Amino acid sequence: MSDERKRSTVETAAVAAPDAVAGRRFGATTMQDAGVVTVVAIIVLLLPLFIPSFVSSLVTKIMIYGLFATSLNIIWGYANIPSFGHAAFFGAGAYTAAILVIKLGITSFWLGLLVAIVVSAAIAAILGIPAFRVFGVGAGAVNPIYFLLATIAFGELLSRVAITIRPVTGGSTGLSGVPKAHIGFGSALSEKQFYYLVFVLGVICLFLMYRILSSHYGYALRGIHDNEKRMQALGYNTWLYKYTSWIIAGVFGGIAGVLFCYFGSSVIPSQFAMATSDISFLLVILGGTTVFFGPLVGSIFYVGIEYVVSIYLPARWPLIFGGLIVIAIMATPWSRQRYQGLGPGVLLLWRWLGRAVPRLWRREIAEAPSPKRGV
Amino acid sequence: MSQALVTGLNGLSYAFILFLLAAGFSLTFGVMGVLNLAHGALYMLGAYIGLQVIASVHQFWAAVVVAAIALAIVGYALYWFFLKKLYNKVPQQGVLTIGVSLIIANVVLWIWGPISHTMMSPRGLTGAVHVGSLGFPIYRLFVVGIGVLVLALLWYMQDRTRVGAIIRAGMDNRDMTVSLGINYGLVSTCVFLLGMALAGVAGVIGAPITGAYPSMGDNLLLLTLIVVVVGGTGYIQGTMLGALVIGMLDTFGKAYIPSVALFFSWIVFLAVLLLRPSGLIGRKVF
Repeated sequence: MSDERKRSTVETAAVAAPDAVAGRRFGATTMQDAGVVTVVAIIVLLLPLFIPSFVSSLVTKIMIYGLFATSLNIIWGYANIPSFGHAAFFGAGAYTAAILVIKLGITSFWLGLLVAIVVSAAIAAILGIPAFRVFGVGAGAVNPIYFLLATIAFGELLSRVAITIRPVTGGSTGLSGVPKAHIGFGSALSEKQFYYLVFVLGVICLFLMYRILSSHYGYALRGIHDNEKRMQALGYNTWLYKYTSWIIAGVFGGIAGVLFCYFGSSVIPSQFAMATSDISFLLVILGGTTVFFGPLVGSIFYVGIEYVVSIYLPARWPLIFGGLIVIAIMATPWSRQRYQGLGPGVLLLWRWLGRAVPRLWRREIAEAPSPKRGV
Repeated sequence: MSQALVTGLNGLSYAFILFLLAAGFSLTFGVMGVLNLAHGALYMLGAYIGLQVIASVHQFWAAVVVAAIALAIVGYALYWFFLKKLYNKVPQQGVLTIGVSLIIANVVLWIWGPISHTMMSPRGLTGAVHVGSLGFPIYRLFVVGIGVLVLALLWYMQDRTRVGAIIRAGMDNRDMTVSLGINYGLVSTCVFLLGMALAGVAGVIGAPITGAYPSMGDNLLLLTLIVVVVGGTGYIQGTMLGALVIGMLDTFGKAYIPSVALFFSWIVFLAVLLLRPSGLIGRKVF
């Protein structure tokens, strides 16, 4: 049933959005790409053995921000719902975990994660109703201005709430002193163990998101991205698809928030606000909306630049951050979807290497029997 | 009761500052199709330029004129170098202008420092008008007067002039308007400059009321967005109504129930989104 259903969805989506389904835009997954993922995962897994701890904390940050931005890319890149308030969910996750640990004394990381998932899903479900009311149907994708304004306002609203209810949230200074995570085995996690926790959770979340986006549901989202009216004509309830994708993105954003609250051991109201949303869409644009792993690539660049600037020019960081946003927007060729962002660049480079390196190899050992082409 | 009247005047003057801001914002969006989220930062820049001019030449009106012209130039540069290349890409425009507002805020912080500046009301507009036992600050009355003047001018322009007719036609169908031989580019550029200049005027006139500090841009941008969503885009009456509702709610809330005042405007905002997504008086833009 489900296989048949998937095939039929892919077929109808192919009618509505031939580009997306043929993989021209999102880049068809090949064995080579699977190879990249495996190699990168192994490198990240072994990294803490070779690098000083401040670098591994940077890598932890890259993974958390990458997860956060990938969750935004579900709605921005795939369903074409540009949200400027994704930090609402990040902050919700972070605050839920911090309040549970500090105010209620529930030290279990898993319980905090579970409650944070429920809370961020609930917040997404509640805010999604007025937001998608203004997003409109069909032509909504043409003029999403009210949706943008509303999403900005939602994040700011939550940050005001966090400032106002001081006894619970600690007011404008937030809550500090979140202890190290307890995952059930003996004592709290050390920094290296936390690195692996983030790695494992990140891989699970990325895998889940990837599965969701390559299911019939994900293809329907791509179809909505390209031609919403046509998807409606084909019988899809596009409102429901957009609304649920918004909730899914909210949940993964919330998980990133939980990890960040343990990572930074504090929460502040600006984690709900524009300052944090800005990071999420900068990463998406830097990495490219058209490739699943694009935001992760963007995250590597962003965290690297942020680290260098925080050492040499901390006072001018907003200036450089704003400049990065302007450069990223102006340098992106918006009409050529395959070449947006750094993600596709890395992918193309990898594929080029995949072709070029074996060729070099063959030339060098021309006499030897030609090696079998790797997968 | 008597206190309520004074609070009412405060609310009214606040509402007119919000109106000046939101009118500029919704004009640039309605006419140019440009989502300018740097509007709050530009307002702040206007306030600081005004402060600088007043500090050096001690002329309030000179400050208003200089800030208006300076912002028109800055805004047009923003349009010419960046936004023009992102025509019809609203989310990208939004992201870009957020970046620009971060840059403006940091440059202002760099030049003028993190301290909050207060601007004195100009000479001749200090003091209060006394009616019985009540004192109405003259400056607030002055702000209301300027606001009413701008409202009347914009309203007249929208409903009674050729420019207004072109703007309305362009909002409905830009391509059709252009194909009728109307130089829509020129008209929309002029209106864009007007919107930017309004942000500068609002910055200088509002500075004695809202103060001037580097993070004010975000706060005012947010209020502007709420006003635009509540009032709706496309009609000057809608913007005015939105500004009036939000300005009054905010001022009365802060005067009487300060602990939850913050949320009054949000409740209205959410209610409008749910019940009347195109705003109280607005074109159905989607």
